[in-house]
Amino acid sequence: MKRLLTIFLAAMSIGISAQIHADHHIPNLGEKATEFKDEDKEAHKRPNMSHADSLIMQRKMHPELLLHKRDRTLRQGVRGGRASLEKCVDCHTSVDKDGEHIPVNAPEQFCSTCHQKVGTSIDCFSCHRTTPAEEM
Amino acid sequence: MKELNRRDFIKSTTATTASVVTIASGISLTTFAAEPPKESAPVTNEKRWGMLIDVNKLTESNIEDMVNACQEENGWGNEVHSKADQKPSWIKKVKVKDKATGKIDTLPMMCQHCEQPPCVDVCPTNASMKREDGIVLVDRHLCIGCRYCMMACPYGSRSFVHEDLNNQKTHMPRGKGTVEACTLCVHRVDKGGVPACAEAVDSEGVIFGDLYDANSKINQTLKKIQSTQIRADLNLNTGVRYSGI
Repeated sequence: MKRLLTIFLAAMSIGISAQIHADHHIPNLGEKATEFKDEDKEAHKRPNMSHADSLIMQRKMHPELLLHKRDRTLRQGVRGGRASLEKCVDCHTSVDKDGEHIPVNAPEQFCSTCHQKVGTSIDCFSCHRTTPAEEM
Repeated sequence: MKELNRRDFIKSTTATTASVVTIASGISLTTFAAEPPKESAPVTNEKRWGMLIDVNKLTESNIEDMVNACQEENGWGNEVHSKADQKPSWIKKVKVKDKATGKIDTLPMMCQHCEQPPCVDVCPTNASMKREDGIVLVDRHLCIGCRYCMMACPYGSRSFVHEDLNNQKTHMPRGKGTVEACTLCVHRVDKGGVPACAEAVDSEGVIFGDLYDANSKINQTLKKIQSTQIRADLNLNTGVRYSGI
């Protein structure tokens, strides 16, 4: 009986620790973004908002921000400004051991780590480039 | 000189205020790195982009250069799985022959950027659209690939992407299941540049500019010389004009 209880408790604790681990899953930020973070630079900082809040805002609202900008760019010819998918890809892609960029939407890369978890399937990258532009 | 009415006065003063703001934020941009880059203003119908192609000044190799420049700029033409009639062609070399005299003209043919575009009329999702400055585009976010616009276009200038693509140009996203055509290199025009095909021809053969601007080269040339719109009988008022045919 005692042995059974130990096994049960052990299984529970493994389960809980796995749960905690999943909740604190840090996405693969990508090469430039990781450098940026390590240098304590405040990426995505918005005016009149703390950096932590800005990051939450970015995480939650990035579809809306991009959607708004895409229509303004394509239909009204508004260029420049804050949001741009090109810049997302620029910072959030990783480099493999041969120095080649890995597509940002590939499994275990920046986009898919979260999107897989929340069960979202996006279609940005059947048209948009998945790696930073080649150096000219 | 037009008399300034109340509406115009307000418009012009707002414009001046806006430019002052731009200068001010430009200064703060140098001081605070966090300041985002300034967005450009939306395009207006005070401009109408157009192109004048002088067929007599273009040799066949000039036209091939234009096609190659377009391919290079926009990243089409490397499709491997598409059949010959499925391959995209944003701009192509067309030969027309006068049956009576046997005279042959060779001309570059692409989206004519009509003022009344049939492709926009037939689009069921509003994906086919005309910008305020007269550039006709496909919004691939909305395009469902029905290809009505390809059937409606009298110039046959649209094509459909039949295969999965990758390594697109950053400024020109393209993908399977959507329709595409000449964009008049909108990404260059918005930055004050000229389309890649016009840049590829050194001669006076291709003039790009604002049709409405009385000081522009295209406007002045069109006033001077005989030019034509292809299928002018359709009353589409094209932005691309030809001379010498």
